[in-house]
Amino acid sequence: MHILKLLSAFLKVNIQMSLAYRADTVVNILLNLMWLAWELLSLNIIFSNTQTLGGWGLGELIALLGVFRLINTMMIAFIWPNTEKFNQSIRDGSMDYTILQPANSMFLVTFSRITVWRFWDLILAVVLIVIGINMSGDSINALQILTFILLALSGMVVIYSLWIVLIALTFWFTKFDNNVTILQALLDAGRYPATVYPVWLRIIVTFIIPIAVATTIPLQALRGELGLNQVLIFLFVGIASFVIATQVWKTGLKRYSGASS
Amino acid sequence: MFLIFKRLWQVNWAEQWQYRANLLMYLLYWLVSPIIYLAVWTSIANANGDVKGFTANDFVTYYMVLLICDQVTSNIIIHTFAYKIQDGSLSGELIKPIHPMLTNALVNNVAFKVLTMIGLTPIWVILFFLFQPDFSGVTFINILIAIPPMLFAFLIGFLFSASITALAFWTTRIYSIHEFYFALILLFSGQFVPLTLMPKVIQDIAQYLPFQLMLYYPIQLILGKLSQAQIIQGYVMTGIWLSVSILLFNWVWREGVKRYSAVGA
Repeated sequence: MHILKLLSAFLKVNIQMSLAYRADTVVNILLNLMWLAWELLSLNIIFSNTQTLGGWGLGELIALLGVFRLINTMMIAFIWPNTEKFNQSIRDGSMDYTILQPANSMFLVTFSRITVWRFWDLILAVVLIVIGINMSGDSINALQILTFILLALSGMVVIYSLWIVLIALTFWFTKFDNNVTILQALLDAGRYPATVYPVWLRIIVTFIIPIAVATTIPLQALRGELGLNQVLIFLFVGIASFVIATQVWKTGLKRYSGASS
Repeated sequence: MFLIFKRLWQVNWAEQWQYRANLLMYLLYWLVSPIIYLAVWTSIANANGDVKGFTANDFVTYYMVLLICDQVTSNIIIHTFAYKIQDGSLSGELIKPIHPMLTNALVNNVAFKVLTMIGLTPIWVILFFLFQPDFSGVTFINILIAIPPMLFAFLIGFLFSASITALAFWTTRIYSIHEFYFALILLFSGQFVPLTLMPKVIQDIAQYLPFQLMLYYPIQLILGKLSQAQIIQGYVMTGIWLSVSILLFNWVWREGVKRYSAVGA
């Protein structure tokens, strides 16, 4: 309950901040629509030249685009603004105030900045997923939808955990402003099914920077390609990565010495 | 004038060298999209035998050359200059007897480019061994003919980006404008896919725009895919767009500086 109250307080503050820049918000939404148009056009170009991409049809790629946009929204709405604030707070020592507050520091650091208007992107993503599944004509039962949702959530947790580890590294190397660039760099790999990539690239996006775990894998579950074992493994990976990230954060926090004091 | 450029080079090289870690990250960031497009299209070509005449090897060579062309013809001026107009630190440069954009910023871009090229070389070699492309269509003459239009394409792109950057004299939303410009490049330059695989409408429009001169034209030229008439047409288009970009930049800059109010300085 405590966490929910804090979250709604953060939301209120962030809504007020974005209301100060209304015209920018409109421009940003227009640009966002432009990119959506480009993404759909690029899929159209691909499928005007082929029937399937690694065994996946147009509908399935549109659904994948939806899942990709979920992760992308998370990146733009949470990860970037909070990382910026966090890096700043390590450099100037204002992290002191965050730690002093009577709440989980990891929660405070990762949720205090939210680019609120990006929420409409989430709706768009869900619409894309629904349209894509309908277009693909796959017959899907309730169990597949459930595993899809669970694995998509677990994939987001994996990305969130990786982010925690990356920013926690700043406690060790104070000048580490590029901490999330690597995550952003490989994000684009989530637009297409990882099965079409060469083996070395597949290994990178599955195990090292696990974008595919958050994009390709949930959709594979939706298509009924994953066995129960695999589903359980990926759910376990989600939980394990969160536990590990929490530990890394705690260990890192002990090293924080406060730049100003 | 030569002395000025020499000194500017020393300063900007030292500055860029200082940020070499950032630069590596940038390089990594920029590499991913072309490699993904390469993977996607070679997988399609392998599954279907070919895509409208493009074999898997054609795609590999296309994107491998694209990595080099994009590095030569792109620029970062909006990221290194726009803030100077916005926070007023341009004032100090304006009183110097040299053009702030056409000297300092230009040399800064070139220094950045040379460094990224050095970083790109080992990565390119690794990719070469991973994909094992067959470059037998490439001749020395073709590379030689492609160099002048590539350098001019860099200038064209630089002047257009500089013009967009100079819009900061009027508006604070230049980053949005630049994003739109970036989308145009993606659509018309052949960055996503060789232009011949794009819808007919886009191909027809792209022919008259400067963006294909930055990637599609030099890539095809190097790969030896263009007829003599097409090569000459590219040279003519380069000349026309270079003149347009010079005129446009001069005009935007002249009007912009008049409006400059040196905020905060």
